[in-house]
Amino acid sequence: MTPAERIGAMRQGGAAASRMLAAPLIRAGVALALVIAVGIIFHADGAFFKVATHRDAFRQGSVFGILACGMTVVVISGGIDLAVGSILALVAVSFSVMSIWWQWPAGAAVVASLAVGTACGVISGGLVAKLRLQPFIATLAMMVFARGLAKTFSGGTKVSTAIPRPGGSFDYAQIPEVFRWIDSRTLGGNVSMVTMIFAVTLLVSWIALERHRWGRELYAIGGNEEAARLSGVPVGLSKTLAYAFCGLTAAVAALCQAAQEQQGDPEAGAGYELTAIAIVVVGGTTLTGARGGIGFTLIGTITIGYLDKILSINAVPEASRLMLTGAIIVGAVLAQRRGRT
Amino acid sequence: MISKPVVVAVMLFMIGCGKQSSSEGPRKFTVGMSQCNLGEPWRVQMNADIKAAAEKHPELNLVFKDAQNDTLKQRAHVEEFVSAGVDALIISPKESQPLTEPVAKAYQGKIPVIVLDRAVQGDQFTCFIGADNRAIGRAAGEWIKNKLGGKGNVVELKGLMTSTPAQDRHAGFREGIERSELKVIFEADMKWLEPDARKEMDSALARFDKIDAVYAHNDPGAHGAYLAARAAGREKQMLFVGIDALPHEGVAYVNQGILNATFQYPTGGGEAVDAVLKILKGETVPKNITLSSRSFTPENSGAK
Repeated sequence: MTPAERIGAMRQGGAAASRMLAAPLIRAGVALALVIAVGIIFHADGAFFKVATHRDAFRQGSVFGILACGMTVVVISGGIDLAVGSILALVAVSFSVMSIWWQWPAGAAVVASLAVGTACGVISGGLVAKLRLQPFIATLAMMVFARGLAKTFSGGTKVSTAIPRPGGSFDYAQIPEVFRWIDSRTLGGNVSMVTMIFAVTLLVSWIALERHRWGRELYAIGGNEEAARLSGVPVGLSKTLAYAFCGLTAAVAALCQAAQEQQGDPEAGAGYELTAIAIVVVGGTTLTGARGGIGFTLIGTITIGYLDKILSINAVPEASRLMLTGAIIVGAVLAQRRGRT
Repeated sequence: MISKPVVVAVMLFMIGCGKQSSSEGPRKFTVGMSQCNLGEPWRVQMNADIKAAAEKHPELNLVFKDAQNDTLKQRAHVEEFVSAGVDALIISPKESQPLTEPVAKAYQGKIPVIVLDRAVQGDQFTCFIGADNRAIGRAAGEWIKNKLGGKGNVVELKGLMTSTPAQDRHAGFREGIERSELKVIFEADMKWLEPDARKEMDSALARFDKIDAVYAHNDPGAHGAYLAARAAGREKQMLFVGIDALPHEGVAYVNQGILNATFQYPTGGGEAVDAVLKILKGETVPKNITLSSRSFTPENSGAK
């Protein structure tokens, strides 16, 4: 055997063993397994083995997971959406104003709230697709604008069940039924409703990306926008719809946030866009577009969610949490990259 | 071409008119209020308190500026007030060091300066009004100690521990529960944020079967803890105590039966307007005014 042949044979042998590991989804699963192993070792007096811990980990991760679904769709098209945290605040405030102050029926409040979020997304998408602003700039502008709108709409305070009256006194309203319903549990008390909403969002996003023409178009745009345009993909429309979908998922997350806080906080969601992006990236979707999918985002959500939970039950100080989270994001992404050479 | 004397005459006439119109009726005083960040509900309340107090005095004309949590913007606001020649300045500074000099310049320019909540360095201001976070934390600790008979497991949900209010509310609380059998079994930094408080409380509930009281450094934190306990069906087993007692937050939660107690962190807005009025009348005010705090519990706030 010549040296070259020997190397070739070695490569083949190694490939058989590492072919499994090379599959991106398996790679993403490895990061998750590592985090869970950490939880099993640092179980905080057995708290990690209680059902409630896992139910709560999923509940707490759900809002971020829902945001990450929309983010994945935008990222696959080669864009990014920085506005999701602010849109979340705007919709949480709108939903609370409609449900608590105006006493709208649940259905009307939900539909109108989702429309608010979608409209924000359509505007971001229009700026990107029609006016050719860079996604970073367009959504940065929407991020500050929506935050301002949320503060204006709420009068600068939290919209809660204590309704201010002129003269400084308060009327106390009941917590709307729809809030109670979203913050309830189902399946024998084992799964939070917000986790079910996350599951539905995942399913819808998966169908859109994997089983629908629009999703294939987004992958094409993310890969090579000019080539997609030349082969007849309606680039502008598809991209606008991606941001609109992201706005819609931000609105869904906002309903969950408002229901769990029992109020609409104009300051809510600050920094959530970064967590959503971290989830997308840790899962294995690349920020340059065209690579990844919703399955990765599910794994990313669970990884980040469990990491957060494990640090919390062990009462790890804030400073260490931040450093550990940073280190684990880098580790997970490096594992991803090695998986697809 | 208009000659110089004519211009001077016209200007003199205008100045004369200005003087005349201002001498009619009682003199109006302009008071500048520089707020560091209206993103916080407590500071919104401070401005509301100042506005409510000033409305009773038609001779006061208040101008509000919000620095949006930007030190340099607040510095510019102080300088703008000085160059506009306000009759008095109220400032709630974002930070001590960078605002010390602008405040001192205003003070040296004979503008009375009332500093609210956070102090500036040195003594180049007219009057400082603030509350004592340490004393409030101590009062909360003593209240829990008495309520539980000096024995039990406590969860402490802390504010952002790099900020002085959180450090003082923490230290005061520990002083308040000294020499008792109260144990802090779980403590976490919830950064003043309700969703974080709920998350940390979930962890505390998962880890400990017996929790007797939750002490949170602000009312949203205590509310978040209550929601976590309620979801676990354990909200009746423990006391929930918060700080700040804003009318639409803590006091409302006590009235709704969510919190067992909240300790007021007064804004000092009304007191600041009182001090301004005294100074403008030529009276002297103390250099330091420490605001007293009160507690709100279902027993004493139910009437409101």
